[in-house]
Amino acid sequence: MMPNDTRSTAPALLRQGDPTSLEARWGIRKILTETTEILADGGAAVPATIKQAWAAAIVRNPWVGDPTDEDLIESPRRVAARLSKLLSDRLLAALGGVDAVQAFGKGAIIGEAGEMEHGAALTHTPYFASNLRTFLGGTAVISFADTRGRDGEILVVPLCEKHTGIVRDHYQGVRVRIPGAPRRDEIVLIAAASTGTRPFPRVGDRTTDQPLDQDLMNGVFA
Amino acid sequence: MSIAPRKIFTLVEETLFEGGRPVEPTARVAVVGAVIKNPWAGQGFVEDLTAGIDEVASDLGALLAPRVAEALGAPIEAYGKAAIVGLDGEIEHGSALIHTLQFGDHFRDIAEATTLLPAVEKRAGAGTSFDIPLKHKTDMKQRSHHQSIEVSFADAPHADEILVALAAAAQGRPQQRLRAFGTDFGTDADKEN
Repeated sequence: MMPNDTRSTAPALLRQGDPTSLEARWGIRKILTETTEILADGGAAVPATIKQAWAAAIVRNPWVGDPTDEDLIESPRRVAARLSKLLSDRLLAALGGVDAVQAFGKGAIIGEAGEMEHGAALTHTPYFASNLRTFLGGTAVISFADTRGRDGEILVVPLCEKHTGIVRDHYQGVRVRIPGAPRRDEIVLIAAASTGTRPFPRVGDRTTDQPLDQDLMNGVFA
Repeated sequence: MSIAPRKIFTLVEETLFEGGRPVEPTARVAVVGAVIKNPWAGQGFVEDLTAGIDEVASDLGALLAPRVAEALGAPIEAYGKAAIVGLDGEIEHGSALIHTLQFGDHFRDIAEATTLLPAVEKRAGAGTSFDIPLKHKTDMKQRSHHQSIEVSFADAPHADEILVALAAAAQGRPQQRLRAFGTDFGTDADKEN
């Protein structure tokens, strides 16, 4: 982080009892955190346990019913930053700190009364994404998924390596499903991360790929 | 570890608002589950399940109990458990693992609990959702603490596996405000008035 950075590394306190707090003003109803420790796959023990985690906040969608030319840039800035902190705090606690994080991702599930753009207003701004990237110690673009759905909708959030993004071993997904959310006028905002690669990665990478030459492709597309 | 889990899941739910009003302190419920090979997989009908229970149940309780206490991060007030048997197994296999003192006493000791652990048992495929019932750890009649948490862990259990989970809550239901058990029709003092 930069000197004089105002982004504290200490976990933020929840302040829902204060009606002026972002938690109260934006109706942050619940926060869920799920961690999966992968100890074995394909019948073999993995050499070192891989941890995947997601943290999700259920937030009221304040833009339901607004016209489709409503500005979505100004109003979500502070809550998006707040959510980046609340969610990254939980990922870091679940995974063992910033140095343990190797891959990350983000996502949104928009309740059916909202527009897809309402999810984007929270996920794709620097107030959420850049802060999340910093808190998780990364530099790459954060991979992303979204959907609109009812309560209990499943979203698989793709993760990519946090510095270059295109490390093939680190492509992996985490499945998010939250009972009872989102309601029609809510948005589920998700941050996800992993401490490692897929179990037993062995599909090579850009440096080991064979060229797509004519001999190899012969007959494949006929 | 003889139980060799394939995956261990930890879920923490924090509730900040319920019914439009703030919940203070934040309500916390935690669930920790481990998916292991069904000890009786591929053996046909096993009449006596004792050997499998002796091999697995205590280790499983010892694995899960401290983890759910740590995940909750607060004194446990209510608790529950679950066994989800993969599609090739019997529900009795899940019950065998969780309905034993070898399993449950690890949780009871850590939670300083005295009551029976409420449970859900079912057979289902991977990623199924299930509701774990929780009740107060020393007084099952404490109505404020009757609650459930819905859980769904991706990729577990496979057909030859069992997913076993413990749930812990740091409080009763958010915004709980029912009359205490035994007072539905008024207290004795009310009746006298």
